[in-house]
Amino acid sequence: MTPVVEANGIAKLFGQLLAVDDLTVALEAGEVLGILGPNGAGKTTAVRMLTTILAPSRGSFSVAGIPHTRPEEIRRRIGVLPESAGYPGGQTGEEYLTYHARLYGYGAGRAREVARSLLDELGLLERARSPISAYSRGMRQRLGIARALVNDPVAVFLDEPTLGLDPAGQRQVLRSVRTIARERGAAVLLSTHLLNEVEENCSHVLILNRGRVIAEGTVSEVVSRAAAPRRVRLQVAPEEVERAAAALAAAPGVGRVEPAEGESGWLRVELEANGHGNGAPNPNEPIRALLDAAIALRSFEVDGTRLNDAFLAITEAS
Amino acid sequence: MSRAETVDAEHPRIWAVVLQREVRDLWTGGRALVMCLAFSLLLSVIAYLVATNTDLNFLEQRESVSLTLQVATAVGALLALLVAGDAISGERERGTLETLLLTPAPRGQIATGKLLAALTLWLASFAVTVPYVWRLGSGVGIVMEALAVGLVVGTLLAIFLASLGILISVFSNSNRFSLSLSLFVLLALFAPSQLPSSAEQGWAGNLLMRFNPVTAGEHFVGRIVVNGHSWSEDISWLVSPVIAAVVFAALVPLAAGRFISLRGGVSG
Amino acid sequence: MTPRRHALPLLALAAIALALATGAHAASSPAGFSATVDRTRISTELGRTFVFRSTIANEGAAADDLIAHLNIVSLRSDVYVDPEDWSTHRTRYLGSLAAGGSRTITWRLKAVNSGAFDVYVAVLPRSGHARRPVTGPVVAVAVAGRKTLNAGGILSVALGVPAVLGVLAVGLKLRRRRA
Repeated sequence: MTPVVEANGIAKLFGQLLAVDDLTVALEAGEVLGILGPNGAGKTTAVRMLTTILAPSRGSFSVAGIPHTRPEEIRRRIGVLPESAGYPGGQTGEEYLTYHARLYGYGAGRAREVARSLLDELGLLERARSPISAYSRGMRQRLGIARALVNDPVAVFLDEPTLGLDPAGQRQVLRSVRTIARERGAAVLLSTHLLNEVEENCSHVLILNRGRVIAEGTVSEVVSRAAAPRRVRLQVAPEEVERAAAALAAAPGVGRVEPAEGESGWLRVELEANGHGNGAPNPNEPIRALLDAAIALRSFEVDGTRLNDAFLAITEAS
Repeated sequence: MSRAETVDAEHPRIWAVVLQREVRDLWTGGRALVMCLAFSLLLSVIAYLVATNTDLNFLEQRESVSLTLQVATAVGALLALLVAGDAISGERERGTLETLLLTPAPRGQIATGKLLAALTLWLASFAVTVPYVWRLGSGVGIVMEALAVGLVVGTLLAIFLASLGILISVFSNSNRFSLSLSLFVLLALFAPSQLPSSAEQGWAGNLLMRFNPVTAGEHFVGRIVVNGHSWSEDISWLVSPVIAAVVFAALVPLAAGRFISLRGGVSG
Repeated sequence: MTPRRHALPLLALAAIALALATGAHAASSPAGFSATVDRTRISTELGRTFVFRSTIANEGAAADDLIAHLNIVSLRSDVYVDPEDWSTHRTRYLGSLAAGGSRTITWRLKAVNSGAFDVYVAVLPRSGHARRPVTGPVVAVAVAGRKTLNAGGILSVALGVPAVLGVLAVGLKLRRRRA
């Protein structure tokens, strides 16, 4: 399948500052790509290049086969929710969407139909005639998503769509993101700093740090490649905590050991990649260490490996 | 036919879509009406002070009509300039520019629509001026002539200044800078009209007055309304207002198409 | 050389001198010119336009490059007259006028001051030594004042226009609030 969005080594220089370097991406219809990165990583710059707001300093990209040298044509095919989108408070939701539909080339009557249909789809039809100044933050984000869909795009770019929303609002927005990919068949690029959003909604993830791609692939590929230290929690008798900590710290494949605050007898242990075998962290090492020290183990828990862990490990390492 | 294909087929005139939206926002939003109200209060004060001077002889009454027209031209053009100065830099500050730039709407047409919307302030100001000029000028039989010359000169100056405001707005990162620079330019253009008449006599003074579209336009209004000249006698004074209006209005879509970006100035 | 031989050059010199002298007079002073007007009294009102005609007749030799110039004088010392305000075409360049010929000029003026005024036309050659203008008879113009401003009338506009705009602005604000 031909990728809907394809970028080859695009980069952006602002004077001497290299904001994004050598970004290569291929996104197919129906896929959801999550772009992760700490603040200042270059996520928004990357999105702005792919949405033709900024011209790349190097490299090339295309959307639906249209090269980046024809930005007006690309804009006809994409929908975007920018990170810091403002809304004209004096207009109603319906007026706003109708106006943007007309800017995409619809006649007046059709534009109004499209606007009302999208407002209905995003659960805003009841407030269609209310001024946007009266909308909540969540409603404005949904209005922004509606605006991004006004031209039935082949690719949708959402830059921090859940920013400032409460959990219910976040859920609503992310549900819309999944619907866009699944039911409309659009390629979706979701730029966010919320790792759980990417884990739950994205088929692929790309991690940016200081303008460079430091990891990409499916979520599980990125996690396993990161060799993130796993964590285990152990419970011993409270009077044995000190002896247990010493025994664990001396064990191979064990990194940091610290008592869990407020939890009597519990210890938190970080595992490191060991020098034996396949190099992956071995959660059995702490148990062996305690057995060797004749310290009774009361309870044992393993922290699941999350994208969160991979992200922190990767970005700290880079 | 997919929705995207249908969209391409319909293709309305974007400048008209933008104009319609901007006019609605300006007028139903109430901002423009409040400006016109303030303008009418100013005119009322001037007209009343002038009219209650019963010793006013014929010529001074003509000068009163000329003064009213010049105030109307200056303030009407100022209002158009203020609205135009907010056109792009205001959208930038309010965060609404990016979504506008993300549409396939040609940027030159967006700017043209906004320019035309700004000019509605001038037309409204002129409409407000009509009853004042009619009242002041009917006693000396110059109402139609005064209104005609005021409309022509005022429209030329409004087009010039509003276009200038849009151009400044394209390149300004902040609305405050855009409006400050626009006002400064307006004051600089009006300043030579305050020079003593002897300063206009030499070739340099005369050239300055003719080259500056604002002073040239005001001079033309004065000659027609106060001195009773025919239009053809002083038509050379309209050259710089016409050139300024045409050149700057033509620059708007060109500059907007090339230079509008998220940040003011040339896009990266 | 015989006396007859001297006479011819002398005669020629005298003829030339006489021609030169005659020509200089003709060029420098339009003697034989007269300027007449079609009426000597005009009554009008402030702001009205009035017209009179003056006829320049050449009762002498042909003359080149004549100028007719209109002047307006206030008979009251407290009334300032700027002739440019009365007429924008005060100077007419007549060119040449053949002997016995005449030219009629129509003067259109607007009475921009009230009071008593004398209007007259001066005719003079454009160049030459000791030029002396010839003036036509004075046209006595009496301009009656009239009240051209109605303070009460302006009040209705000065109050009415802002009132209408204010009502519209308030109405719009209420409509927006209701929406």
